Amino acid sequence: MLTQLLLQVVVAVSILLSVALAGVVGRDRLSLLREEWRSRLRTSAPAIALLLAILLLNRIMRQQGRSLSQDYGIHMTEVFYTIEGEFVLLFQAIASPEANTYFSISYVYGYVFLLIFPVVAYAARSKTIDFRRLLIAYSLNYAIGLVFYILFIAYGPRNVFVEELTQTMLYDNSPQYKYLTTEVNRNTNVFPSLHTSLSATVATFAYQTRSTYPRWFPIAVCLSISIMISTMYLGIHWGIDVLAGLALAGFCVSLSTYLVDRWSLTAILEQVRKRLHEYRDTVTTASQENS
Amino acid sequence: MNSPPDESDESAEGISRRAMLAAGATGLSVGASGCINRVQSVVDPDSSTGMAVSILTLPGADGDREGAQIARHLEENLRSVGVNATINTRSRSELLKTVLLEQDFDIYVGRHPADFNPDFLYEALHSTYAYESGWQNPFKFMDPSFDGEVRFMDPSFDGALERQRTVEGAEREEAIAELLWRFALNQPFIPVCIPNEYRLVQTDRFSGWEDGHLATRLGYLGLEPAANVEQLHALITDARPTRNLNPLSATARERGTITDLLYDSLATYEETDDDSESNLRPWLAADWDWDGSTATIELREDCTFHNGDPLTAQDVKFTYRFLADTTLGRAPEASPAPRYRGQVAAIDSITVEDDYRLTISASTSPEVGERAFTVPILPRRIWSERVDRRVTGNDEFSPPQGTWSLVTANNIPPVGSGPFQFADRSEGEFLLLERFEDHFSVGTDDVPEPTVPELRLEVDPGTASSIDRIASGGADMTTARLETYALGGISDDDPVERVEDTSWTFYHIGFNTLKEPFSNPRFRRAVARLVDKGWITETIFNGHARPVAAPVAEKWTPDSDSEIDSLVWEDKDPVTPFLGTDGELDVKDARDLFAEDYEYDDSGNLLR
Repeated sequence: MLTQLLLQVVVAVSILLSVALAGVVGRDRLSLLREEWRSRLRTSAPAIALLLAILLLNRIMRQQGRSLSQDYGIHMTEVFYTIEGEFVLLFQAIASPEANTYFSISYVYGYVFLLIFPVVAYAARSKTIDFRRLLIAYSLNYAIGLVFYILFIAYGPRNVFVEELTQTMLYDNSPQYKYLTTEVNRNTNVFPSLHTSLSATVATFAYQTRSTYPRWFPIAVCLSISIMISTMYLGIHWGIDVLAGLALAGFCVSLSTYLVDRWSLTAILEQVRKRLHEYRDTVTTASQENS
Repeated sequence: MNSPPDESDESAEGISRRAMLAAGATGLSVGASGCINRVQSVVDPDSSTGMAVSILTLPGADGDREGAQIARHLEENLRSVGVNATINTRSRSELLKTVLLEQDFDIYVGRHPADFNPDFLYEALHSTYAYESGWQNPFKFMDPSFDGEVRFMDPSFDGALERQRTVEGAEREEAIAELLWRFALNQPFIPVCIPNEYRLVQTDRFSGWEDGHLATRLGYLGLEPAANVEQLHALITDARPTRNLNPLSATARERGTITDLLYDSLATYEETDDDSESNLRPWLAADWDWDGSTATIELREDCTFHNGDPLTAQDVKFTYRFLADTTLGRAPEASPAPRYRGQVAAIDSITVEDDYRLTISASTSPEVGERAFTVPILPRRIWSERVDRRVTGNDEFSPPQGTWSLVTANNIPPVGSGPFQFADRSEGEFLLLERFEDHFSVGTDDVPEPTVPELRLEVDPGTASSIDRIASGGADMTTARLETYALGGISDDDPVERVEDTSWTFYHIGFNTLKEPFSNPRFRRAVARLVDKGWITETIFNGHARPVAAPVAEKWTPDSDSEIDSLVWEDKDPVTPFLGTDGELDVKDARDLFAEDYEYDDSGNLLR
């Protein structure tokens, strides 16, 4: 079940990617990337390592976080429900089988595409700054999300409004997706919506780089808005989760701009080496004096 | 429709016996519970504000769709009468922890494991258990009314619970009828419905699915595998068995299907036709014989635990002593297990005659006493060592009953003597059991045996995906009851079959009767009248459930032949009929009913 579904996602996203890369990034940039990828990778190594480490941590905490969360987490379902009531049910006004298909595809396939495309697209620019900023912003989103998930235990609207959401609930129409999402996430991880924060992060980057990739900007905006609506339409997130996701995105994008190029890793290493030398020198001089 | 609930369906004969009973019982208990309320209102600073109620339930889409919908129905109707109700979602184990161990709730919606014998009500409602943690009286229910003047045979609720344990035959039926009437008038919890138990099995690889109840051990034994089938692959929608296999844990399970496979008990449940005397047949006991209230038990010889230790009468005696006091007398006060409390309480004393023979003297009738024979038999050496390890030094040892580490630890790997033993697990993913080759059933003809070397219980996200998976040959059976929303997804073309077993577990709405206003039986009955059980079974369960006023099997429900009035469901609840039609509340009638005991503020909020 799971492997079959994963394969479907990989194939679909690959097709989307190749079409979009050809149309948005263009042949010249891509062939230049083929020649220069080694050096660009070297410059961006710290950001890549950071993202990989955070993703790994995320993976580990999916199991370990459960018990941490049980010991220290605060139950929030009732609070969210009390604050926003039946807000997410507003989206039921546009419910239809076509909307179900559209939002399910946006939520699963669209989201994966939206996250991967800019990674390749920014790697294809000779300036690596946006590439590194993006990876740092992704890392921040995941890292902060992880902390929130441990602290706040909440179930999404589909677990409260069963009857009202029956027609649009993702897992009713396509139970197979449940294998995928339980593999990636736990059902109490709803606040904030990482689908929202990462989509908004990508959309903001698309805005900032619209002069380089003018075609990407409208695509990214449409897709990320669809994904945000889909999280509520499909009964996965509360409105509050989406708001928090937007706030998280804003924070992560600003922080990534602030952090990138602030410290150079090679400079830090150089500094450490120098200090070590100085230390060794003082030690040796001291011992010589003593002898 | 302004009349109090119990009089609403009064016959023309004037005030019936039932109404008098109701008036007597509730009048007195309101008076007495008033004391408790006053104590609480001193403690509670919000006592003059609007009434707020938190309804605890499982997550709907990912846990229990039907339960969550019942909670929502109740929430909406409570709001209609001016109560600020909210829904509070918890995972399965956390819901049980909150309700059974912490008692930190107002109202919860859940499924009670119940039992084929109505004696389970003794454990669920007896006031001596109101101060214990666990499945024993989680409602903290105490009915202090002492109705000497009229007309129930027993002067108190506790008395009624006790009497049905000692009398037999027709007399017991009457005692139970009376108990159920007291229950219905008091509503310590609202029984909603008994859902049909359907499971999906695939028929290419195994046959013989109809023979045993699939929630009990016999369901998993004696199945006939096709050639070369080496594993029974079952799907579970509840991941708890991959995390905790402690037979004493209150929160790790509602019913003990997997405990049943890992551990043996003296007797085992067997499905029989309704007229038979008992549903229990000898299991680890080869046979038993009652003389008055004393049973002589012959154990099967040469049984061993999974670690090779022999299983003797000493282990049986130990098990009952240990369940009654998990500290084995080391603490100043006994610390009963948070499970099996009612069963174990039926046993007065046990004498070991020799390795394989013991006498058990019961404080109850044989029928009730035999329920004690269904508890898992534990290895004495392992559990007494665990107690020893936890008693340290000369300090006073008084672990919190029901929540101390011995009863909450995961007990992995479990050592029982049952037909399957633990092999492997991965948390949240699967539990693998393997056939215990030395089990007494293996190679015999008189009892069904494990017929495949392996039983793999794999966690699947839900009923709909489980059905897909079994239909496509990806697994052999579902262990959990199928949720009714997905029943339509079963296709006649696939090699699968929907199996139905006898059902006694019921959905209910439980009250924390220590808290105001739930301490007031009139309030509880008014809330019961906000719940349309008929509509719930028709729409939420699609007709695959039976609405009930009494949470017991049909054969125990007093009918029109009973000396006391009938509690049989006939289009409406005979005691607390819904105030409305087709799930729609008649708001004015309902508000009038609540206004009899409580006040409303100017904006229509109900005040405490």
